[in-house]
Amino acid sequence: MLDNKSTGSKIRNVVIHIIVIGLGLICLLPMINIVAISFSGSAAVSANRVGLVPVDFTALAYKRIVEDSQFWHSFGISVVRVVLTLALNLVITVPMAYAMTRSKGEFPARNLYMNLLIFAMLFNGGMIPTYIVVKNLHLLNTIWSLILPGAVPVFSVILLMNFFKGVPKALEEAAIIDGASQFQVLLQIMVPCAKPSIATVSLFSIVGSWNDFFGGLIYMQRVEDYPIMTYIQSLNIDLQELVKNAANSAALENVAELSNRNLNAAKIVVAVIPLLLIYPFLQRYLISGLVMGSVKE
Amino acid sequence: MRKKFFRKAAALTLAAVTALSLAACGGGGGNNDSSAGAGGDAPAADPADREKVTITMGRQTTADPKFPEGDNYEDNAYIRMVEQELNVDIVDQFEANNGDDYNRQVSLALSAGELPDIMKVASKDELTELYENELIADLTDVYENYASDYIKGLYDSFDGRALADVTYDGKLMALPATASDAGPGMFWVRSDWAETLGLKIDEDGDRFVTLDEVKAVAQAFIDGNPENVDKMVGMAFDPALTATSSDNANMINTIAYSVGAYPRHWYEDESGELVYGSTTDEMKQALSIVRDWYQEGIIDEQLGTRTWDDITSLLVNGQCGIVFGSWHVPDWLLNNVYTLNNKAVYEPYVVVNSEGKVNCTHYKATGEFVVVSADFEYPEIAIQILNLIYDDMMTSPELLEKYPEVDSYLKEGVDGTARPYNIEVKSSTYLLEEYAELKAALDGQATKEEISSAEERTNYDAIKAYQEGSGELTGWCKIHSRCKGVDMLTYLNDSDVYNWITPVYPQTTMTMKTNWANLQTLEEESFIKIVTGTEDLDASFDTFVSNWKSQGGDTIASEIKEQMGN
Amino acid sequence: MIIVKQAYRKACLFWERSMVIKMKKNKSSISSTKNKNSLQYHAMVLPGMVFLIIFGYLPMFGLIMAFQDFVPAKGLFGSQFVGLKHFTYMFTLPDIGRVIRNTLIIALGKIILGMLLSIAFSILLNEIRMKFLKKTVQTIVYLPHFLSWVVLAAVAMNLFNIDGSVNQIIASLGFEKINFLGSNNVFRKLLIGTDVWKEFGYNSVVYLAAITGIDAGLHEAAAIDGASWWKRVWHITIPGMLPIILLMTAMNLTSVLSAGFDQIYNLYSPIVYEVSDVLDTYIYRIGLVGRQYSFGAAVGLCRSIVALIMLVGANKITEKLTNQRIY
Repeated sequence: MLDNKSTGSKIRNVVIHIIVIGLGLICLLPMINIVAISFSGSAAVSANRVGLVPVDFTALAYKRIVEDSQFWHSFGISVVRVVLTLALNLVITVPMAYAMTRSKGEFPARNLYMNLLIFAMLFNGGMIPTYIVVKNLHLLNTIWSLILPGAVPVFSVILLMNFFKGVPKALEEAAIIDGASQFQVLLQIMVPCAKPSIATVSLFSIVGSWNDFFGGLIYMQRVEDYPIMTYIQSLNIDLQELVKNAANSAALENVAELSNRNLNAAKIVVAVIPLLLIYPFLQRYLISGLVMGSVKE
Repeated sequence: MRKKFFRKAAALTLAAVTALSLAACGGGGGNNDSSAGAGGDAPAADPADREKVTITMGRQTTADPKFPEGDNYEDNAYIRMVEQELNVDIVDQFEANNGDDYNRQVSLALSAGELPDIMKVASKDELTELYENELIADLTDVYENYASDYIKGLYDSFDGRALADVTYDGKLMALPATASDAGPGMFWVRSDWAETLGLKIDEDGDRFVTLDEVKAVAQAFIDGNPENVDKMVGMAFDPALTATSSDNANMINTIAYSVGAYPRHWYEDESGELVYGSTTDEMKQALSIVRDWYQEGIIDEQLGTRTWDDITSLLVNGQCGIVFGSWHVPDWLLNNVYTLNNKAVYEPYVVVNSEGKVNCTHYKATGEFVVVSADFEYPEIAIQILNLIYDDMMTSPELLEKYPEVDSYLKEGVDGTARPYNIEVKSSTYLLEEYAELKAALDGQATKEEISSAEERTNYDAIKAYQEGSGELTGWCKIHSRCKGVDMLTYLNDSDVYNWITPVYPQTTMTMKTNWANLQTLEEESFIKIVTGTEDLDASFDTFVSNWKSQGGDTIASEIKEQMGN
Repeated sequence: MIIVKQAYRKACLFWERSMVIKMKKNKSSISSTKNKNSLQYHAMVLPGMVFLIIFGYLPMFGLIMAFQDFVPAKGLFGSQFVGLKHFTYMFTLPDIGRVIRNTLIIALGKIILGMLLSIAFSILLNEIRMKFLKKTVQTIVYLPHFLSWVVLAAVAMNLFNIDGSVNQIIASLGFEKINFLGSNNVFRKLLIGTDVWKEFGYNSVVYLAAITGIDAGLHEAAAIDGASWWKRVWHITIPGMLPIILLMTAMNLTSVLSAGFDQIYNLYSPIVYEVSDVLDTYIYRIGLVGRQYSFGAAVGLCRSIVALIMLVGANKITEKLTNQRIY
């Protein structure tokens, strides 16, 4: 800027840098802490001696994970769940969003459908009735119970709809004149144009289904069928017990059992790796998608 | 447009009706022959004579069950044994960890009207609810006809308290887990200090002390300061002051009990009236003793702010040589002292009342239950499993010879949740019985192999090693908790000095749900103020009692009376 | 943009090629095309609607149980109707007051502090000229948003337990340790703090976009006139962000009844129910774990209705203020 030579602005610049870097560190350090715990000896971990650097460095926890069949089973369930959810979400939301861009003249039932969509986003029957439906469809303990109830992410439909609306009408009209069906218009014109926003809703779907733990808690009746986040959640309970009993006799006994905290930390780190792998895409599409959705239209 | 919408709405409703009505009849499970309790006429039903039965179960699990490779909850040594012996096939309808997770699974199964054939429930409230909704089977006849004499003996050792808990309108509705009494809160004293100071605590050697003697020991420790620390503390208590069981550590329960006050317990007094122990005159007397001791400097001057951990450090630092607590405190509290100071030795004494008796409250005899679905065709199998696991497996060596893998489960400490029922069914005096075996082996009158409990065998090794000079912590702990703690319980039992109180353990009432937490806070805050404060004792105790009553205490009392009437 | 251009080119090619075919075709009547299209649109919507009806609308019939004494064994049709019993009972419970208070305090705390920090952060970040630093900081602060509370709760419990790293720092500075996870004085602050921590980076994205949209010429002109940095932020940047701030406020206020189930469920324990039990956790504990199905449904229904009204209201307000709609 113009006045960037004055002392005042220099000081200001330094202060701003310190604050921004400080906020960055506050976000980073807790992550480093959990990684450090995962690489530390269990004695050091239960004595809470681990800060940002591993104490008694060991990769034993990771070696144990490699052999932990339950962990990989849960991990696998989550991978399959993410893939199937993604496919289903796209197959449903893309055509739906396209149909929703039509005017009332072109598609008389459009507003009815739209209202049904919106209302379903805002209102639901609650956990128990949904559970009863899932149970009566015999989906309990199957991966479908984790996928089908979330098959229609209404927010994604709206996001895609807004994007489709921005595609020049001329493209579509040209194709129509050529006798293309609406499905052809959708697949050959809309979808290629909407790649960034499709990427955005895909990432929503991936992050959402990877991170969800509650579906597993409700629809899976055995720990061995838990998806990864539900599995991690069941490990957290140990730690919570310790907190609960902070003033209680049992705590003293539990301390010894908690020596697998480094193992749990390692499991957490491994469970986050898939998200870190797609993180560059997340940053590119989710964030641009978000801005697109809320700022432009 | 509109027409279309209505047609759609109608279709929707129809779909809803179909799907949800499924839920309604789901509970029937297709088996409508009401054979619940039918075993009555045919006690000899041999499992081998009928077809293989599939049993669905709700199983309570734990995060780290320590299974050998390849085994799991549905397929492990216990389950294989049960399946083979009883000609059944056990299928887990749900498995969930203790606590919220398990309760959620039960609730979900219940909401969909699909209970497993056999499951565990973790609270009396839940049991009552299942009974009232007619979802569970009456086990009176099958228990009578199938339960082994040994099992009946275990339950009967509680003088009827165990089965009374699960009997509704004269019908036995569940198989209860048992919780044995842990005896009184003992007065644990650093005997190495007493020796250093030349202090005789129990001159007549009857292992009993009076409150005056307790006070004298504390005073002697303060004056003697055996480890030359900055500041001695006679005795220290948790800010909560009282606890819900007779034996909790760092509480004034032991003092209160000796004057006939039973804080936090509901019981019927001599006139047959239901009272809440914390509001009685005896409690006032107990508080006045503690208050006097506090003012005389016998009790920690930081009473009320000292947390549990702070008290532990007082013990560890050599500032305090007295602990009130149950027979097992050496295992998890006093062990901290030994870890830092291996000269520490404790000796337990029991505080007697003015008549030389030991006041003690019975534990709640049951707290967990196994129930059988009302739709299950073979309720007798539930009893047969009970016999197999809690009688045959514990009492007949032949069974373990036939199933060596079960034996190795027991020896290697695979978690008890692996059993079909995760409950304990033991006699009310099992602690004493197990200790008798341990003692016989330690005294050389029996061999280690003759000890039936795996845990006591481990204790035997630890104690032996310690006696041979290993100096290891576990050995020190077990000598204290078993050879001193449980030994004291045996002594008390044999010398017939108990004055037992049988409290009423109410179910959570409506008013308790809303007001109980506040009442507890009121009680704790009032007591700590009474003890450390300078206001008139009578006036402040009376204020507490009237506040307690008006803030819901009286309502709760009448609700409990109503429960008892049923 | 490049992608759009490519698509356009492809479409043009497609158009040219098919011109020939079109010439040969007869004109079809407009109305029949319209009907055909309409059918195609129905077909596009159908798969989604099937799922929506089964998993969205069908369970809504279960809300009937809020007006019954629902007994699972008897089902929705066999259970007795009790009218508004559960609703009136709800308002006599002291619990409800506590739960609503907690919900509002926690949700508003998160919204207000979260927005303030995101706005401040975006303004500060915009001042950073070093591309690499800016990118790195952005990469780091966006990350927590994408992680599940299951993971972050474990991270938080490791840091904030009574012997955790944070307490060791506190102790080494000579202060008394704080029982963050078990104290009724601190726990709510911890919930608000960790949530703000998780979301401020990601939420700043929108504000950053708004700032970059502000005409740079305004800043230059003001600087020439001698306006200080503070003045320019106050009189140019913030007014320039105002529409977005208003929009975000309205959007955020719609979530005032959901104080964050995932977070609280993974961090709380009975000793801090007093300050952290919110509507969603209460409904879960009472209605599901506690098996008071009808009562849970009644509380849930009230919550949903109020939330619906708030959202519709917020939508109206934003439409008036910014000519945009939330949905």
